[in-house]
Amino acid sequence: MKRYVSFLITVFVINTNLFAAEAGMPQLDPTYWASQAFWLILVFTILYVSISKFYLPKIKENLDNRKNKIEEDLEYANKFKEQSEAKVKEYEHILENAKKEVSKIHFESKNNLSKEIQLKKATMEKEIEVEISKVQKEISELKKNSISTIQNISENISSKIIENISGDKLNESSIKAAVEEISKKNINKYL
Amino acid sequence: MASNPMQQFTVHRIGPEIKIAGIDLSFTNASLFMVISASIILLFLFMGSKEKKIIPNKIQLITEMFYTFVAKMISDTAGSKAKPYFPFIFSLFMFVLFCNMVGMLPYSFTVTSHIIVTLIMALFIFVAVTIIGFIKHGFKYLSIFVPSGVPTILLPLITIIEIISYLSRPVSLSVRLFANMMAGHTMLKVFGGFVVSLGVLGGWLPLSFSVALTGLEILVAFLQAYVFAILTCIYLNDALNLHH
Repeated sequence: MKRYVSFLITVFVINTNLFAAEAGMPQLDPTYWASQAFWLILVFTILYVSISKFYLPKIKENLDNRKNKIEEDLEYANKFKEQSEAKVKEYEHILENAKKEVSKIHFESKNNLSKEIQLKKATMEKEIEVEISKVQKEISELKKNSISTIQNISENISSKIIENISGDKLNESSIKAAVEEISKKNINKYL
Repeated sequence: MASNPMQQFTVHRIGPEIKIAGIDLSFTNASLFMVISASIILLFLFMGSKEKKIIPNKIQLITEMFYTFVAKMISDTAGSKAKPYFPFIFSLFMFVLFCNMVGMLPYSFTVTSHIIVTLIMALFIFVAVTIIGFIKHGFKYLSIFVPSGVPTILLPLITIIEIISYLSRPVSLSVRLFANMMAGHTMLKVFGGFVVSLGVLGGWLPLSFSVALTGLEILVAFLQAYVFAILTCIYLNDALNLHH
Protein backbone atom coordinates (compact mmCIF):
# COMPACT_ATOMS: atom_id res chain seq x y z
CA MET A 1 0.00 0.00 0.00
CA LYS A 2 2.81 2.41 0.94
CA ARG A 3 4.57 1.71 -2.31
CA TYR A 4 1.34 2.25 -4.22
CA VAL A 5 0.78 5.63 -2.55
CA SER A 6 4.35 6.79 -3.21
CA PHE A 7 3.92 5.70 -6.82
CA LEU A 8 0.72 7.74 -7.04
CA ILE A 9 2.46 10.78 -5.62
CA THR A 10 5.34 10.56 -8.09
CA VAL A 11 2.90 10.27 -11.00
CA PHE A 12 0.95 13.22 -9.66
CA VAL A 13 4.11 15.32 -9.32
CA ILE A 14 5.17 14.49 -12.86
CA ASN A 15 1.71 15.38 -14.16
CA THR A 16 1.50 18.67 -12.27
CA ASN A 17 5.00 19.58 -13.39
CA LEU A 18 3.89 18.95 -16.94
CA PHE A 19 0.96 21.27 -16.88
CA ALA A 20 2.63 23.85 -14.65
CA ALA A 21 5.30 24.14 -17.29
CA GLU A 22 2.70 24.76 -19.98
CA ALA A 23 1.52 28.00 -18.35
CA GLY A 24 -1.74 27.73 -16.46
CA MET A 25 -5.29 28.49 -17.39
CA PRO A 26 -6.51 29.03 -20.94
CA GLN A 27 -9.46 30.87 -19.37
CA LEU A 28 -7.21 33.86 -18.66
CA ASP A 29 -5.99 34.13 -22.23
CA PRO A 30 -7.87 37.14 -23.66
CA THR A 31 -7.52 36.19 -27.34
CA TYR A 32 -11.08 34.90 -27.68
CA TRP A 33 -12.81 36.85 -24.90
CA ALA A 34 -14.53 39.16 -27.34
CA SER A 35 -15.58 36.25 -29.49
CA GLN A 36 -16.96 34.33 -26.53
CA ALA A 37 -18.83 37.39 -25.26
CA PHE A 38 -20.26 38.05 -28.72
CA TRP A 39 -21.42 34.49 -29.29
CA LEU A 40 -22.76 34.16 -25.75
CA ILE A 41 -24.88 37.29 -26.14
CA LEU A 42 -26.06 36.23 -29.60
CA VAL A 43 -26.94 32.66 -28.64
CA PHE A 44 -28.51 33.62 -25.34
CA THR A 45 -30.58 36.36 -26.94
CA ILE A 46 -31.91 33.96 -29.55
CA LEU A 47 -32.59 31.39 -26.83
CA TYR A 48 -34.31 33.94 -24.60
CA VAL A 49 -36.49 35.37 -27.36
CA SER A 50 -37.61 31.99 -28.67
CA ILE A 51 -38.27 30.66 -25.16
CA SER A 52 -40.17 33.70 -23.93
CA LYS A 53 -42.15 34.36 -27.12
CA PHE A 54 -42.78 30.85 -28.27
CA TYR A 55 -42.26 27.99 -25.86
CA LEU A 56 -43.20 29.32 -22.44
CA PRO A 57 -46.64 30.61 -23.53
CA LYS A 58 -47.28 27.19 -25.10
CA ILE A 59 -46.29 25.31 -21.95
CA LYS A 60 -48.22 27.75 -19.78
CA GLU A 61 -51.31 27.43 -21.95
CA ASN A 62 -51.12 23.67 -21.72
CA LEU A 63 -50.67 23.74 -17.94
CA ASP A 64 -53.57 26.19 -17.62
CA ASN A 65 -55.72 23.99 -19.83
CA ARG A 66 -55.01 21.03 -17.63
CA LYS A 67 -55.70 23.04 -14.48
CA ASN A 68 -58.98 24.31 -15.91
CA LYS A 69 -59.96 20.82 -17.00
CA ILE A 70 -59.22 19.43 -13.55
CA GLU A 71 -61.18 22.25 -11.92
CA GLU A 72 -64.08 21.73 -14.29
CA ASP A 73 -64.09 18.02 -13.59
CA LEU A 74 -63.97 18.67 -9.87
CA GLU A 75 -66.87 21.08 -10.22
CA TYR A 76 -68.85 18.47 -12.12
CA ALA A 77 -68.00 15.90 -9.50
CA ASN A 78 -69.18 18.23 -6.74
CA LYS A 79 -72.38 18.97 -8.62
CA PHE A 80 -73.10 15.29 -9.04
CA LYS A 81 -72.27 14.69 -5.42
CA GLU A 82 -74.72 17.36 -4.35
CA GLN A 83 -77.34 15.90 -6.64
CA SER A 84 -76.83 12.44 -5.26
CA GLU A 85 -76.98 13.76 -1.72
CA ALA A 86 -80.27 15.50 -2.49
CA LYS A 87 -81.58 12.26 -3.95
CA VAL A 88 -80.51 10.36 -0.87
CA LYS A 89 -82.31 12.90 1.31
CA GLU A 90 -85.42 12.61 -0.82
CA TYR A 91 -85.26 8.86 -0.61
CA GLU A 92 -84.88 8.99 3.16
CA HIS A 93 -87.82 11.35 3.37
CA ILE A 94 -89.97 9.03 1.31
CA LEU A 95 -88.86 6.08 3.38
CA GLU A 96 -89.74 7.87 6.61
CA ASN A 97 -93.16 8.85 5.31
CA ALA A 98 -93.78 5.31 4.23
CA LYS A 99 -92.76 4.05 7.64
CA LYS A 100 -95.12 6.50 9.30
CA GLU A 101 -97.93 5.44 7.00
CA VAL A 102 -97.23 1.81 7.69
CA SER A 103 -97.39 2.30 11.42
CA LYS A 104 -100.56 4.35 11.02
CA ILE A 105 -102.20 1.66 8.90
CA HIS A 106 -101.02 -0.96 11.33
CA PHE A 107 -102.50 0.93 14.27
CA GLU A 108 -105.80 1.60 12.51
CA SER A 109 -106.28 -1.92 11.34
CA LYS A 110 -105.42 -3.20 14.79
CA ASN A 111 -108.04 -0.92 16.30
CA ASN A 112 -110.62 -1.89 13.72
CA LEU A 113 -109.95 -5.53 14.21
CA SER A 114 -110.16 -5.36 17.96
CA LYS A 115 -113.39 -3.38 17.73
CA GLU A 116 -114.86 -5.89 15.36
CA ILE A 117 -113.70 -8.74 17.50
CA GLN A 118 -115.26 -7.15 20.55
CA LEU A 119 -118.50 -6.55 18.70
CA LYS A 120 -118.64 -10.10 17.44
CA LYS A 121 -117.75 -11.40 20.84
CA ALA A 122 -120.58 -9.43 22.40
CA THR A 123 -123.16 -10.58 19.89
CA MET A 124 -121.94 -14.13 20.20
CA GLU A 125 -122.16 -13.95 23.95
CA LYS A 126 -125.67 -12.62 23.72
CA GLU A 127 -126.64 -15.38 21.34
CA ILE A 128 -125.02 -17.90 23.58
CA GLU A 129 -126.84 -16.54 26.61
CA VAL A 130 -130.13 -16.65 24.77
CA GLU A 131 -129.43 -20.16 23.66
CA ILE A 132 -128.36 -21.17 27.16
CA SER A 133 -131.49 -19.72 28.74
CA LYS A 134 -133.61 -21.46 26.12
CA VAL A 135 -131.91 -24.73 26.74
CA GLN A 136 -132.19 -24.28 30.50
CA LYS A 137 -135.90 -23.68 30.15
CA GLU A 138 -136.22 -26.76 28.03
CA ILE A 139 -134.25 -28.74 30.55
CA SER A 140 -136.38 -27.55 33.46
CA GLU A 141 -139.52 -28.29 31.48
CA LEU A 142 -138.16 -31.69 30.61
CA LYS A 143 -137.34 -32.25 34.22
CA LYS A 144 -140.85 -31.30 35.31
CA ASN A 145 -142.35 -33.49 32.63
CA SER A 146 -140.03 -36.27 33.46
CA ILE A 147 -141.05 -36.13 37.11
CA SER A 148 -144.72 -36.54 36.27
CA THR A 149 -144.02 -39.29 33.70
CA ILE A 150 -141.73 -41.03 36.14
CA GLN A 151 -144.47 -40.82 38.74
CA ASN A 152 -147.00 -42.26 36.30
CA ILE A 153 -144.65 -45.02 35.22
CA SER A 154 -143.72 -45.82 38.77
CA GLU A 155 -147.44 -45.85 39.72
CA ASN A 156 -148.15 -48.28 36.91
CA ILE A 157 -145.16 -50.45 37.74
CA SER A 158 -145.95 -50.49 41.43
CA SER A 159 -149.65 -51.29 40.85
CA LYS A 160 -148.63 -54.08 38.45
CA ILE A 161 -146.06 -55.43 40.90
CA ILE A 162 -148.59 -55.37 43.71
CA GLU A 163 -151.17 -57.01 41.45
CA ASN A 164 -148.77 -59.72 40.45
CA ILE A 165 -147.62 -60.33 44.01
CA SER A 166 -150.96 -60.13 45.80
CA GLY A 167 -153.34 -60.82 42.95
CA ASP A 168 -155.56 -58.02 44.12
CA LYS A 169 -156.10 -54.68 42.65
CA LEU A 170 -155.10 -51.94 44.98
CA ASN A 171 -156.68 -48.61 45.20
CA GLU A 172 -155.18 -46.37 42.61
CA SER A 173 -155.27 -43.23 44.77
CA SER A 174 -153.42 -44.88 47.64
CA ILE A 175 -150.64 -46.05 45.28
CA LYS A 176 -150.41 -42.59 43.91
CA ALA A 177 -150.07 -41.15 47.31
CA ALA A 178 -147.36 -43.62 48.28
CA VAL A 179 -145.38 -43.04 45.12
CA GLU A 180 -145.69 -39.32 45.53
CA GLU A 181 -144.45 -39.56 49.06
CA ILE A 182 -141.35 -41.57 48.10
CA SER A 183 -140.63 -39.49 45.06
CA LYS A 184 -140.83 -36.33 47.07
CA LYS A 185 -138.34 -37.84 49.46
CA ASN A 186 -135.91 -38.92 46.75
CA ILE A 187 -136.49 -36.51 43.92
CA ASN A 188 -134.07 -34.02 45.40
CA LYS A 189 -131.22 -36.49 44.81
CA TYR A 190 -131.73 -36.30 41.03
CA LEU A 191 -132.66 -32.71 40.54
CA MET B 1 -3.63 11.66 -25.22
CA ALA B 2 -2.78 15.04 -23.79
CA SER B 3 -1.60 14.80 -20.23
CA ASN B 4 -2.24 18.46 -19.45
CA PRO B 5 -5.54 18.65 -17.56
CA MET B 6 -6.02 22.31 -18.51
CA GLN B 7 -5.75 21.57 -22.23
CA GLN B 8 -9.46 20.74 -22.37
CA PHE B 9 -10.26 24.40 -21.68
CA THR B 10 -8.40 25.86 -24.63
CA VAL B 11 -10.47 27.78 -27.12
CA HIS B 12 -9.63 27.43 -30.78
CA ARG B 13 -11.11 28.85 -33.91
CA ILE B 14 -13.40 26.76 -36.08
CA GLY B 15 -13.82 27.90 -39.67
CA PRO B 16 -12.85 31.28 -41.04
CA GLU B 17 -11.59 34.20 -39.02
CA ILE B 18 -14.25 36.85 -38.47
CA LYS B 19 -12.95 40.30 -37.60
CA ILE B 20 -15.27 43.22 -37.02
CA ALA B 21 -13.65 46.62 -36.37
CA GLY B 22 -10.38 44.96 -35.46
CA ILE B 23 -12.00 42.66 -32.86
CA ASP B 24 -11.73 38.92 -33.36
CA LEU B 25 -15.25 37.46 -33.25
CA SER B 26 -14.42 34.12 -34.87
CA PHE B 27 -16.61 31.09 -34.36
CA THR B 28 -14.79 28.91 -31.82
CA ASN B 29 -15.37 25.58 -30.15
CA ALA B 30 -16.87 27.54 -27.22
CA SER B 31 -19.35 29.14 -29.62
CA LEU B 32 -20.08 25.74 -31.12
CA PHE B 33 -21.00 24.26 -27.75
CA MET B 34 -23.12 27.29 -26.86
CA VAL B 35 -25.03 26.71 -30.11
CA ILE B 36 -25.27 22.97 -29.38
CA SER B 37 -26.62 23.57 -25.84
CA ALA B 38 -29.12 26.16 -27.04
CA SER B 39 -30.21 23.86 -29.87
CA ILE B 40 -30.72 20.97 -27.46
CA ILE B 41 -32.82 23.21 -25.19
CA LEU B 42 -34.93 24.46 -28.09
CA LEU B 43 -35.36 20.97 -29.54
CA PHE B 44 -36.28 19.67 -26.11
CA LEU B 45 -38.84 22.41 -25.55
CA PHE B 46 -40.18 21.94 -29.07
CA MET B 47 -40.70 18.22 -28.45
CA GLY B 48 -42.19 18.96 -25.07
CA SER B 49 -44.72 21.53 -26.22
CA LYS B 50 -45.55 20.02 -29.61
CA GLU B 51 -48.51 17.99 -28.46
CA LYS B 52 -50.90 19.61 -26.04
CA LYS B 53 -52.19 16.64 -24.19
CA ILE B 54 -54.20 16.63 -21.01
CA ILE B 55 -52.31 13.53 -19.97
CA PRO B 56 -48.71 14.37 -20.96
CA ASN B 57 -46.21 12.01 -22.53
CA LYS B 58 -42.73 11.68 -21.02
CA ILE B 59 -40.98 14.59 -22.74
CA GLN B 60 -43.93 16.91 -22.20
CA LEU B 61 -43.95 15.91 -18.55
CA ILE B 62 -40.24 16.75 -18.23
CA THR B 63 -40.63 20.20 -19.82
CA GLU B 64 -43.58 20.90 -17.57
CA MET B 65 -41.53 19.77 -14.58
CA PHE B 66 -38.80 22.24 -15.57
CA TYR B 67 -41.42 24.95 -15.95
CA THR B 68 -43.04 24.34 -12.57
CA PHE B 69 -39.62 23.89 -10.92
CA VAL B 70 -38.39 27.30 -12.06
CA ALA B 71 -41.78 28.93 -11.47
CA LYS B 72 -41.84 27.61 -7.92
CA MET B 73 -38.24 28.70 -7.34
CA ILE B 74 -39.09 32.25 -8.41
CA SER B 75 -42.33 32.52 -6.48
CA ASP B 76 -40.67 31.09 -3.35
CA THR B 77 -37.69 33.44 -3.36
CA ALA B 78 -38.85 36.62 -5.12
CA GLY B 79 -42.64 36.51 -4.79
CA SER B 80 -45.30 37.32 -7.36
CA LYS B 81 -43.68 40.61 -8.42
CA ALA B 82 -40.92 38.65 -10.17
CA LYS B 83 -43.33 37.05 -12.63
CA PRO B 84 -42.32 39.27 -15.61
CA TYR B 85 -38.72 38.04 -15.20
CA PHE B 86 -39.72 34.38 -15.32
CA PRO B 87 -38.74 33.85 -19.00
CA PHE B 88 -35.29 35.30 -18.38
CA ILE B 89 -34.61 33.18 -15.30
CA PHE B 90 -36.01 30.11 -17.03
CA SER B 91 -33.72 30.69 -20.05
CA LEU B 92 -30.77 31.36 -17.77
CA PHE B 93 -31.33 28.21 -15.73
CA MET B 94 -31.83 26.06 -18.81
CA PHE B 95 -28.78 27.54 -20.55
CA VAL B 96 -26.43 27.06 -17.60
CA LEU B 97 -27.81 23.60 -16.85
CA PHE B 98 -27.50 22.37 -20.43
CA CYS B 99 -24.04 23.93 -20.89
CA ASN B 100 -22.90 22.14 -17.73
CA MET B 101 -24.50 18.85 -18.76
CA VAL B 102 -23.19 18.96 -22.34
CA GLY B 103 -19.77 19.64 -20.82
CA MET B 104 -20.01 16.31 -18.99
CA LEU B 105 -19.91 14.41 -22.28
CA PRO B 106 -16.42 13.14 -23.19
CA TYR B 107 -14.51 15.23 -25.78
CA SER B 108 -16.96 18.10 -25.34
CA PHE B 109 -16.25 21.63 -24.20
CA THR B 110 -17.71 23.20 -21.06
CA VAL B 111 -18.86 26.71 -21.93
CA THR B 112 -19.46 27.65 -18.29
CA SER B 113 -15.90 26.76 -17.29
CA HIS B 114 -14.74 30.07 -18.75
CA ILE B 115 -14.66 33.07 -16.48
CA ILE B 116 -15.52 35.45 -19.30
CA VAL B 117 -18.80 33.65 -20.03
CA THR B 118 -19.96 33.48 -16.42
CA LEU B 119 -18.74 37.01 -15.75
CA ILE B 120 -20.79 38.44 -18.62
CA MET B 121 -23.90 36.67 -17.38
CA ALA B 122 -23.28 37.78 -13.80
CA LEU B 123 -22.52 41.35 -14.83
CA PHE B 124 -25.67 41.49 -16.93
CA ILE B 125 -27.71 40.24 -13.96
CA PHE B 126 -25.99 42.70 -11.64
CA VAL B 127 -26.58 45.70 -13.89
CA ALA B 128 -30.14 44.66 -14.70
CA VAL B 129 -31.02 44.12 -11.05
CA THR B 130 -29.54 47.48 -10.09
CA ILE B 131 -31.47 49.25 -12.84
CA ILE B 132 -34.69 47.48 -11.83
CA GLY B 133 -34.10 48.50 -8.22
CA PHE B 134 -33.65 52.16 -9.11
CA ILE B 135 -36.67 52.14 -11.46
CA LYS B 136 -38.91 50.57 -8.83
CA HIS B 137 -37.76 52.54 -5.78
CA GLY B 138 -35.79 55.54 -7.04
CA PHE B 139 -33.12 56.72 -4.66
CA LYS B 140 -34.80 54.82 -1.84
CA TYR B 141 -33.10 51.76 -3.35
CA LEU B 142 -29.87 52.99 -1.75
CA SER B 143 -31.43 52.10 1.62
CA ILE B 144 -30.45 48.49 0.78
CA PHE B 145 -26.99 49.47 2.07
CA VAL B 146 -28.37 50.70 5.41
CA PRO B 147 -29.88 47.78 7.31
CA SER B 148 -32.41 48.66 9.98
CA GLY B 149 -31.88 47.90 13.66
CA VAL B 150 -28.11 48.49 13.62
CA PRO B 151 -26.49 50.61 16.39
CA THR B 152 -25.52 54.09 15.14
CA ILE B 153 -21.85 53.61 15.94
CA LEU B 154 -21.65 50.53 13.74
CA LEU B 155 -23.72 52.01 10.92
CA PRO B 156 -20.84 53.45 8.80
CA LEU B 157 -18.91 50.19 9.02
CA ILE B 158 -21.98 48.07 8.19
CA THR B 159 -22.83 50.34 5.27
CA ILE B 160 -19.33 49.98 3.84
CA ILE B 161 -19.54 46.20 4.25
CA GLU B 162 -22.93 46.15 2.58
CA ILE B 163 -21.65 48.19 -0.36
CA ILE B 164 -18.65 45.89 -0.79
CA SER B 165 -20.86 42.79 -0.59
CA TYR B 166 -23.26 44.29 -3.12
CA LEU B 167 -20.46 45.15 -5.54
CA SER B 168 -18.85 41.74 -5.15
CA ARG B 169 -22.06 39.97 -6.22
CA PRO B 170 -21.11 39.62 -9.90
CA VAL B 171 -17.65 38.36 -8.96
CA SER B 172 -18.92 35.76 -6.48
CA LEU B 173 -21.72 34.69 -8.82
CA SER B 174 -19.43 34.22 -11.81
CA VAL B 175 -16.43 32.75 -9.98
CA ARG B 176 -18.63 30.21 -8.16
CA LEU B 177 -19.89 28.68 -11.38
CA PHE B 178 -16.62 28.98 -13.29
CA ALA B 179 -14.44 27.59 -10.49
CA ASN B 180 -16.80 24.69 -9.80
CA MET B 181 -16.90 23.64 -13.43
CA MET B 182 -13.18 24.09 -13.97
CA ALA B 183 -12.16 22.28 -10.80
CA GLY B 184 -14.48 19.35 -11.49
CA HIS B 185 -13.30 18.88 -15.04
CA THR B 186 -9.66 19.25 -14.04
CA MET B 187 -10.09 16.61 -11.37
CA LEU B 188 -11.71 14.25 -13.86
CA LYS B 189 -8.86 14.81 -16.28
CA VAL B 190 -6.18 14.30 -13.62
CA PHE B 191 -7.71 11.04 -12.49
CA GLY B 192 -8.14 10.01 -16.11
CA GLY B 193 -4.44 10.71 -16.62
CA PHE B 194 -3.64 8.53 -13.59
CA VAL B 195 -5.61 5.66 -15.06
CA VAL B 196 -3.53 5.86 -18.23
CA SER B 197 -0.15 6.29 -16.56
CA LEU B 198 -0.72 3.59 -13.91
CA GLY B 199 -1.89 1.11 -16.52
CA VAL B 200 -3.77 -2.15 -16.02
CA LEU B 201 -2.11 -2.94 -12.70
CA GLY B 202 -2.54 0.28 -10.75
CA GLY B 203 -5.22 2.11 -12.67
CA TRP B 204 -8.27 0.61 -11.01
CA LEU B 205 -8.28 2.89 -7.98
CA PRO B 206 -8.17 6.18 -9.94
CA LEU B 207 -10.68 4.68 -12.36
CA SER B 208 -13.15 4.03 -9.56
CA PHE B 209 -12.48 7.58 -8.33
CA SER B 210 -13.12 8.82 -11.81
CA VAL B 211 -16.47 7.02 -11.96
CA ALA B 212 -17.51 8.40 -8.59
CA LEU B 213 -16.36 11.89 -9.60
CA THR B 214 -18.42 11.72 -12.78
CA GLY B 215 -21.53 11.13 -10.69
CA LEU B 216 -20.53 13.98 -8.38
CA GLU B 217 -19.88 16.27 -11.33
CA ILE B 218 -23.34 15.61 -12.77
CA LEU B 219 -24.77 16.59 -9.39
CA VAL B 220 -22.56 19.69 -9.32
CA ALA B 221 -23.62 20.58 -12.86
CA PHE B 222 -27.26 20.61 -11.79
CA LEU B 223 -26.56 22.22 -8.44
CA GLN B 224 -24.52 25.09 -9.86
CA ALA B 225 -27.20 25.87 -12.44
CA TYR B 226 -29.75 25.86 -9.63
CA VAL B 227 -27.56 28.05 -7.42
CA PHE B 228 -26.94 30.47 -10.27
CA ALA B 229 -30.67 30.79 -10.95
CA ILE B 230 -31.70 31.01 -7.30
CA LEU B 231 -29.10 33.68 -6.51
CA THR B 232 -30.44 35.67 -9.46
CA CYS B 233 -33.89 35.31 -7.91
CA ILE B 234 -32.59 36.48 -4.54
CA TYR B 235 -30.91 39.54 -6.07
CA LEU B 236 -34.10 40.26 -7.96
CA ASN B 237 -36.06 39.92 -4.74
CA ASP B 238 -33.80 42.52 -3.09
CA ALA B 239 -34.47 44.90 -5.96
CA LEU B 240 -38.25 44.28 -6.10
CA ASN B 241 -39.11 44.12 -2.42
CA LEU B 242 -37.14 46.52 -0.24
CA HIS B 243 -37.22 45.03 3.22
CA HIS B 244 -35.39 47.74 5.08
